[in-house]
Amino acid sequence: MERAANMNERDLSYADVNRDIVRSLVETGPKYYITLGCAVGLTVVCFLFPWFYQLQLGIAAAGMNHPQVWGTYEAGFIFWIGLSHSGTLLSCVLHITRSSWRKAMYRSAEAMTLFSLVVAVIMVMVHVGRPWFIHWAFPYPNQMELWPNFRSPLLFDVTAIATYLTGSSVFIYMGSIPDFAAVRDRTTGWRHHMYTLLSLGWRGTDTEWHRLGWAYTLLAVLIIPLAVSVHSIVSWDWASSIVPALHQTIFAPYFVVGAIYSGTAGIVTVMFLLRKYMGFERYITEVHFDNLGKLLLALSLIWTYINVLELFTGWYSGDSPEIEALKYKLFGYYAPLYWEMILFCAFAPLLLISKRFRVSFVPMLILSIAINIGMYTERFLIVGTSLSRKYLPDAWGVYVPSLVELSILVGTIALFSTLFLLFVKIFPSVSIYEVKETLAEAAAEVPERDTGAAGGDRWQPAR
Amino acid sequence: MTPTPSEDKPVEPERSLREKWREYRKPGYYEELDYAWTMTIDLDRCMGCEACMVACKAENNLPIVGEQAFARGREMQWIRIERYWEGQYPDIKLRFIPVMCQQCEAAPCETVCPVTATYHNQDGLNVQVYNRCIGTRSCAVYCPYEVRYFNYNDHHWDQPLEQQLNPDVTVREKGVMEKCTFCIQRIRLAKDHAKDDGRRRVRDGEMVPACVQACPAEAMVFGDRKDAASRVSASLKDARAYRVLDELNTRPSVIYLKKVTG
Amino acid sequence: MATSAIGLFVDPHGALAAAAKLKGAGFAAPAVISPIPLEGAEAALGEKKSIIKRFTFFGAILGGASGFTLAAGTAVLYLHPTGGRPIIPFPPFLIITYEMTILFGILATVIGFLISSRLPAIRDRAYAPEAAVDRFAVAVTCDDDERVAQAAALLREAGAAEVRNVQEQRP
Repeated sequence: MERAANMNERDLSYADVNRDIVRSLVETGPKYYITLGCAVGLTVVCFLFPWFYQLQLGIAAAGMNHPQVWGTYEAGFIFWIGLSHSGTLLSCVLHITRSSWRKAMYRSAEAMTLFSLVVAVIMVMVHVGRPWFIHWAFPYPNQMELWPNFRSPLLFDVTAIATYLTGSSVFIYMGSIPDFAAVRDRTTGWRHHMYTLLSLGWRGTDTEWHRLGWAYTLLAVLIIPLAVSVHSIVSWDWASSIVPALHQTIFAPYFVVGAIYSGTAGIVTVMFLLRKYMGFERYITEVHFDNLGKLLLALSLIWTYINVLELFTGWYSGDSPEIEALKYKLFGYYAPLYWEMILFCAFAPLLLISKRFRVSFVPMLILSIAINIGMYTERFLIVGTSLSRKYLPDAWGVYVPSLVELSILVGTIALFSTLFLLFVKIFPSVSIYEVKETLAEAAAEVPERDTGAAGGDRWQPAR
Repeated sequence: MTPTPSEDKPVEPERSLREKWREYRKPGYYEELDYAWTMTIDLDRCMGCEACMVACKAENNLPIVGEQAFARGREMQWIRIERYWEGQYPDIKLRFIPVMCQQCEAAPCETVCPVTATYHNQDGLNVQVYNRCIGTRSCAVYCPYEVRYFNYNDHHWDQPLEQQLNPDVTVREKGVMEKCTFCIQRIRLAKDHAKDDGRRRVRDGEMVPACVQACPAEAMVFGDRKDAASRVSASLKDARAYRVLDELNTRPSVIYLKKVTG
Repeated sequence: MATSAIGLFVDPHGALAAAAKLKGAGFAAPAVISPIPLEGAEAALGEKKSIIKRFTFFGAILGGASGFTLAAGTAVLYLHPTGGRPIIPFPPFLIITYEMTILFGILATVIGFLISSRLPAIRDRAYAPEAAVDRFAVAVTCDDDERVAQAAALLREAGAAEVRNVQEQRP
């Protein structure tokens, strides 16, 4: 039985769940501090210092030129927004469809979403030529009596990302309120105060559960179309231009599929690390990796299909700038990157057809990292190959990312890791009450297997 | 805020929102331009001498980016001569196309600027507001003619070259996008003179941008196409007239006269 | 001074039955405190209506109106023709409206949740920490000590593993 195999009910009781997860929050060993220290250090050295250098010198610190005015910063921005589509969107969809295998991992996935969005917003500030004026892109009454240009695709971006940030933070917070209450009861000192504030005095009465259930479902229903629209809007930054390889209607679905794809790969990576280093072996099991693997396979096939579509329709159009851009993508200066992307994102995931591969942890980790490398390359290629082959041949050009850009790329990963490491010690990274719900469902389904998960006599929920 | 009136200049009253709305709702708001500045470039006459590029640089305080920056592709040239050739010397066929901002009526770059640092003014020009630009560079991405140039760093002029700078034009700081403006400072000056002269219109030939002025072959003609008697309106009727990348429907204000060979 | 009788049950079914009995005996608002949402709660204690939906709906409508007003209003305040497009074009402004609809809908849902579940809670209310782990608690609060004693007796009858009397502390 699939559900029953989710957790090892033989040895898991409600009290165990509380204890394990509170322990993951409260106990910090030297390994954690070393990791956190490395992450903070890398952020400062690889992200902050090069960024300050760039703020003083100008975008000349990066490798961009005429015509390649956009480079790894824009690609990085799109990549991090894409990564953010994993958690919240997946969590909402799986909530609406009532799948049980989401329950152990969705909290960390939603956290991934939130922090990816934060990193993406910071990438915008790195990317822009005069970031000290970035607040002009927001609508606020000012002395100049000027407002941002809402007709601009970049403003759709601002609105969509602001909404998505708000929605994700609210969603993850709402889902965590009961868990904060559970943790509040078992902690002391400053932690107790913090969780008392965060749990808002939650008790867990039937009324409160009823309200929370409604609010959570309504939020999920609102967030699904929001998440789909966010990455579509981000893709329209590029698709609203008339540049040959960018001006395509397939971009919105392409980017949404790519985002969920890279996001799910990100979840696999994070799940592996959580499982290994936070002691969650009993909560995150082969079943999760199996299901994530199937999802990745499906997304990889769709992604491959869309890429083939792009090539085919471009070639079929007979339009010379379009064909030139495609030829350049496949055989030009950046061709090695293109084929690496195809290898990592179209061919390597075919390994997921084998169930043995899907339930082995380390191969899944390696594949998920490879997929994300491929997806980052894809974003970079979309920007790099299309800008270098626009309409007028005299204006064609090539660009190589500078050291500053590569360092900032590493730095953003370190920044994301820092935020995530802080998260695992404040939020319960596995949802306590949802895991218990899964245990209750499992016990109800197979009564003879119920070894008193609730810590007492056998019970059946009233149906 | 109404400016303090001086003795000689009449002050425009501040228009209320309702008045602005009424003007916007008047049919033909977009088509009714004060002037419609247009440039015609005769490719038969252009010999690729690049005098226009030097004049533009001098007039508009374009920085000299240096050899290294130029090699990295960070040139700063608001007008460039595109060279296309076929064959080998001595049977070479060479064509020069001077390309500057085409001041498109349906400019793709204008829609994407998040802070409206570029928009279409009532003279039919695509203006770039340096102070407002935050440097997202999306306008440069959207421009199909590749005529927008970004300031990747601050520029400085070795002494005493800064004495040569044009006081009518700002010097742009890093992070700001710039492009050909049809020498808007000269247009503004001409309009001011016309107003002082008794509110007449700028006469044909009264002002020309620096590139047009410098061209030794007189390949470029500049004027107001709303004026049916102007030179530029006559050249628009030429059978050789075409627009670059016309199929994109950007409706540029720069018309080229095809080079007829053989 | 209000007192609460809290009965701790090991079996959620028993807890729900006890709560139903308490409701039948005329106690005002027996609360069933549990670590997970219970399926039989509405059957035992009567159907609950949720007004959060209304918050979401009106929030979304307000958001749509504000989104369009923001985009169209600011476009008209300082007329900047861009790209030959109309000053108030519908496709871009539809997107802004859509995003603001969802934003306000989300915020309204949160406000609705907080209001209808009366959180954050200022006063201390009847609670048992075990109910956040693996026990199911039924709590009843009354001003009258006798009634509380009756409630405690009922709970013991219904099979509570433990019954507690808690004095509520007035701030």
